[in-house]
Amino acid sequence: MPKSQFIDPKELRKAGKVEFIPVDVNVYNKTTAEEKKLFTTDDFLRIYRDMAIIREFETMLNDIKTKSAYNGVEYNNPGPAHLSIGQEATAVGEAYCLDTDDYIFGSHRSHGEILAKGLSAIHKLSETELYDTMKEFLDGSILKVVEGKEEVKGDTKDLAIDFLLYGALAEVFARTTGFNKGLGGSMHAFFIPFGIFPNNAIVGGSATISTGAALYKKSNKKSGIVVCNIGDGSLGRGPVWEAMNFAAMDQIRELWPDSKDGGLPILFNVNNNFYGMGGQTYGETMAYHFPARMGVGVTPSQMHAERVDGYNPLAVIDAYKRKKELLLEGKGPALLDVVTYRISGHSPSDSSTYRTPEEIEAWKNEDVIEAFGAKLVKGKIATKAQLEEIRESIKNRMTKIIKLAIDDSVSPRMDLDANPDLISSIMFSNQKIEKLDDREPEVLMPYEENSRVKAIKNKARFAFDENGKPYSKLKTYNIRDGLFEAIMHSFYTDPTTIAYGEDNRDWGGAFAVYRGMTEALPYDRFFNSPISEGAIVGSAVGYAMAGGRAIVELMYADFIGCAGDEIFNQMAKWQSMSAGILKMPVVLRVSVGSKYGAQHSQDWTALTAHIPGLKVVFPSTPYDSKGLMNAALSGTDPVIFFESQRIYDKGEEFHQGGVPEEYYEIPFGEPDVKRVGSDITILTIGAVLYRALDAAKTLQEKYGISAEVIDSRSIVPFNYEKVIESVKKTGKIVIVGDACERGSIMRDMASNITEMCFDYLDGPPVVLGSRNWITPAFELEASYFPQADWIIDAISEKILPIPGHVSTHNFSDIEKIDRSKKGV
Amino acid sequence: MATAVIMPRQGQSVESCIITSWSKKPGDAVKVGDVLFSYETDKSSFDEVSTVEGTLLAVFKEEGEDVPCLENVCVIGNPGEDISAFAGAASPAAEEKPAEEAPKAEAPAATEVAAPVSTAVDGAQMKISPRAKALADKTFADLLKAVPTGPDGRIIERDVQLLLDKSLTVSPAAYASYNTAVEGTGIGGMVTLSDLERKVEEVAAPVAAPAEPEADFEDVKLPNIRKVIAKSMHASLSNSAQLTLNSSFDATKLMAYRAQVKANAEKMGLANITLNDIVLYAVSRTILDFKEMNAHYLDDKMRYFNNVHLGIAVDTDRGLLVPTLKYANKMSLNEISVNAKSIIKEAQGGTINPDKLQGASFTITNLGSLGVESFTPVINPPQTGILGVCGLTTKVKEVGGEIKAYQAMGLSLTFDHRALDGAPAAKFLKALCNNLENFDLLLAK
Repeated sequence: MPKSQFIDPKELRKAGKVEFIPVDVNVYNKTTAEEKKLFTTDDFLRIYRDMAIIREFETMLNDIKTKSAYNGVEYNNPGPAHLSIGQEATAVGEAYCLDTDDYIFGSHRSHGEILAKGLSAIHKLSETELYDTMKEFLDGSILKVVEGKEEVKGDTKDLAIDFLLYGALAEVFARTTGFNKGLGGSMHAFFIPFGIFPNNAIVGGSATISTGAALYKKSNKKSGIVVCNIGDGSLGRGPVWEAMNFAAMDQIRELWPDSKDGGLPILFNVNNNFYGMGGQTYGETMAYHFPARMGVGVTPSQMHAERVDGYNPLAVIDAYKRKKELLLEGKGPALLDVVTYRISGHSPSDSSTYRTPEEIEAWKNEDVIEAFGAKLVKGKIATKAQLEEIRESIKNRMTKIIKLAIDDSVSPRMDLDANPDLISSIMFSNQKIEKLDDREPEVLMPYEENSRVKAIKNKARFAFDENGKPYSKLKTYNIRDGLFEAIMHSFYTDPTTIAYGEDNRDWGGAFAVYRGMTEALPYDRFFNSPISEGAIVGSAVGYAMAGGRAIVELMYADFIGCAGDEIFNQMAKWQSMSAGILKMPVVLRVSVGSKYGAQHSQDWTALTAHIPGLKVVFPSTPYDSKGLMNAALSGTDPVIFFESQRIYDKGEEFHQGGVPEEYYEIPFGEPDVKRVGSDITILTIGAVLYRALDAAKTLQEKYGISAEVIDSRSIVPFNYEKVIESVKKTGKIVIVGDACERGSIMRDMASNITEMCFDYLDGPPVVLGSRNWITPAFELEASYFPQADWIIDAISEKILPIPGHVSTHNFSDIEKIDRSKKGV
Repeated sequence: MATAVIMPRQGQSVESCIITSWSKKPGDAVKVGDVLFSYETDKSSFDEVSTVEGTLLAVFKEEGEDVPCLENVCVIGNPGEDISAFAGAASPAAEEKPAEEAPKAEAPAATEVAAPVSTAVDGAQMKISPRAKALADKTFADLLKAVPTGPDGRIIERDVQLLLDKSLTVSPAAYASYNTAVEGTGIGGMVTLSDLERKVEEVAAPVAAPAEPEADFEDVKLPNIRKVIAKSMHASLSNSAQLTLNSSFDATKLMAYRAQVKANAEKMGLANITLNDIVLYAVSRTILDFKEMNAHYLDDKMRYFNNVHLGIAVDTDRGLLVPTLKYANKMSLNEISVNAKSIIKEAQGGTINPDKLQGASFTITNLGSLGVESFTPVINPPQTGILGVCGLTTKVKEVGGEIKAYQAMGLSLTFDHRALDGAPAAKFLKALCNNLENFDLLLAK
């Protein structure tokens, strides 16, 4: 779309060839003598020790899962344990080269990675830094357990290893002294001070998220790289492909400032153990033969993809050194196909029906720890006795750690009986932070000089003049303008604020909310994303985890389906799965369409409201849109921001004095009475507000019935008090929205209102949603979306028969039963 | 081709008929005009005659079976014909029917509002919104007079408001009776499902078939109070041994006395003493000598009262109510007159305290003003008697060889033979007649 780039037919129609360079496969071939020059004895022994710690940690978990005992300590762990016995060299090799400002993200099988990264960080941080970190983390609660009653030990690094193992194990065992208070568990444990970011139980789930963290580093000029640990099985998932392309998209190289060479500083580390659970990726479920081939196709640089022998920690370290250098030079992204093998089952219940004992035995014969140990002995770097001592001390340490982790007196579980609101209190962070970083926001022009800002100055901020006459559309400050002002405010206040989505730049957003922003903002804060809804939302999640604020847009609400996992499992859950450690300042704009048929007209508020952890709003006036967007952008919670394409050009008809020029916020959860009445309450969700007001007008003028119209504005959270107050007054309520009626949020509200207002009700709360159909063509929409006359008919038929009114729509119980029988 | 014989619909409100007997059996030859079977509705019985000739091929319904109208009962044709299509099927006409009715069901609700048909709804059957109920609970609106205008015949707030606008309220006691239709046996007196089922059985009133617009009758559901009366009256008659003695007395002196009182009422500050008041007074002064009449029969014991508490049967808009004049034996005639009028008024106005509807030792009911000459009042158990006061009639008697006309007042005493025998009852009646006939002497006592 940028005009600076010319799509030249002459050039593009020329004959030629796309050339690929051959991909390196296991090219590492250094001799021990060469290696001795690169590593000290301490380094060699540390690599051995770290692999052995991971092996012992997982052996312990395996024993606990399968025998309910480890080294004489009995315990039953009902939670998951996806082990990576056999894969230790990949984790240790990776972590060896990473610093604490390098972030790793992982999968369901990432115990090894977090321990390796933690051990690496412990090695690299100073004792003071380490102790302060441990002391500050969760108010020192984990440190207190591992420190016991003793004074500070002389060896802080040794204490830190206890801290790391205990924090991880307590997390696996769902103890409040775990890294995430036991709310993340085995598949989600993480510890940000060591650069360990969340692992993900959704296969490939980390791909888009780590891309977002890399985007944060790039856009905010932060040091370090991001490693995305995923398995070979995850390469079958679309969002992983989306993430790779997103991380590598041309514009980063060609259009973004100071970035001539490549994409985001991210390494996709494919732990290629040849199985996705039991499905064999090599020869059965995938087609690539070499996962490296996936990277080759993504960018002209072939993502610097190569295959590495993951059974040799030194080969992995070698590859990481080279890749990290590339990434730091701005030549990312990169991809490593790390050959490894999981000797343990997918989980303890795995009976290996999909592989032969011979195959497992063959890999056991190549066991990384045994082989590396033998190499050290052979190279006279260590004696057998030394290595045995290392392993013995690890076993003792692990025994000590598990005893602590299962001791209820020091490692309690959350007491939800005594404190029933503990989890409630972390579902949202509910903070107000206008700026997530202190530096000056990067913008291309002073706010006042922006062409859109100037244009808005000439607009009427209230819909009607002093005589009650509406201003012309072009002269009226509308919902678009309200959103624009709020988003621009965030861009000019918070340096981390970033916005992207399909057709955001140049085009100005499909519905012109962003018109005028292109001239004001640099590319790395405001850009067009590929058509990759999963990556759009997932990267925003990672961007927020890393410390930034993102406003992303999916154009039509219908595309929520394309980003299902990213919205429902990632955006919604990380604040609470992290026990409140992470914040999720992400605003996801979705627009409810009309005129565009079945896949472009759906109000999916109920889907998003159903998932705990998301805030959901649906304003329908300029005043509310600006106020709620300001609240969303100064908050720290994930917000699904519904808009409606029917009403983008609506002026402000309610707020006296019009939409204020200055900054203001409208608190989430507060419905707003848009019309005061006494006989019946109409509660609306979204754009249907205006149809409800039409109905209220008819009810008043034709039948003398005074309707109170309440605009819900928010869906989650939602304060019922105002609605209850109204229903106590009127005794009657109709709840209207454009979502399909079945399973809608209106149904939920009706049920709650019935419970809370039962004795005040003069009839059942009536729900008016769209028909349970596909959205038909625009010309037929009046038969599908609730209209003003439906509202009057429903009132007359279900609540308050209106003398003289003849209904034209059938709301009878018989009809309802019949429709339900048919599922429509 | 075989012909099915259906159960005819004998009138639009008839849903089914019972086959009382078969005159033909399968295999019998049938001629036109032959009686096939007899059947009855709850009102009358009919013979179904054959309109075709042939053989009775099959009979689908047995004697005593309740057959829905328009269903096939039997089939007539030629031997060997396939009749499987007829078994159990309704006639084509029956299937067409719902289609004819369908448009009616879709008529807009609004038109129903304009002319509400049913008004009286009792507590058990009443459909009322929680809000309307709450308002009525607070204001004691007379829900029995409510005209439901909500969907499905539901009383909604505006209907109760209309009652209040018309000042149609009732006493708390009468209001409470709306709610006692179902007695809860659950925890804390909650109405349980089984209570409701029991209630349904008790009421045993099938929902009346919707009347055709041109029907010349009107089905009105019984108000609760009527059901209560019905139940107690029926229980009284079925659970006791009542019989009635009729007598009369010469009311000449009594009338003279009343005229005298009336003439001097203002002057003397007396109430408007009625004949009924005088009867109440006479009973209160007579009955203590006949303790079996001023008593309760309690199956295994008798409870004799030392004072006279007179129940006075009062006809009200809501039905029969019986307020009690307590300690009538201790009141002067004037006091009886004042107090009786007061409770009667309260009963008629629906404002009476429910306590005043209990505790009578004997009851007096007066149909005299309606010209009744004698009747058989029904005892209000566990009382042992009730006195019916009849109208005045002109009778003649021989006084000193002369035939003389006089005004006679009839008294009908019903007593429970379980509690006492005829002689003591008759003696009470005779004493009462004496006392009334010589009322001046009674007053002197």
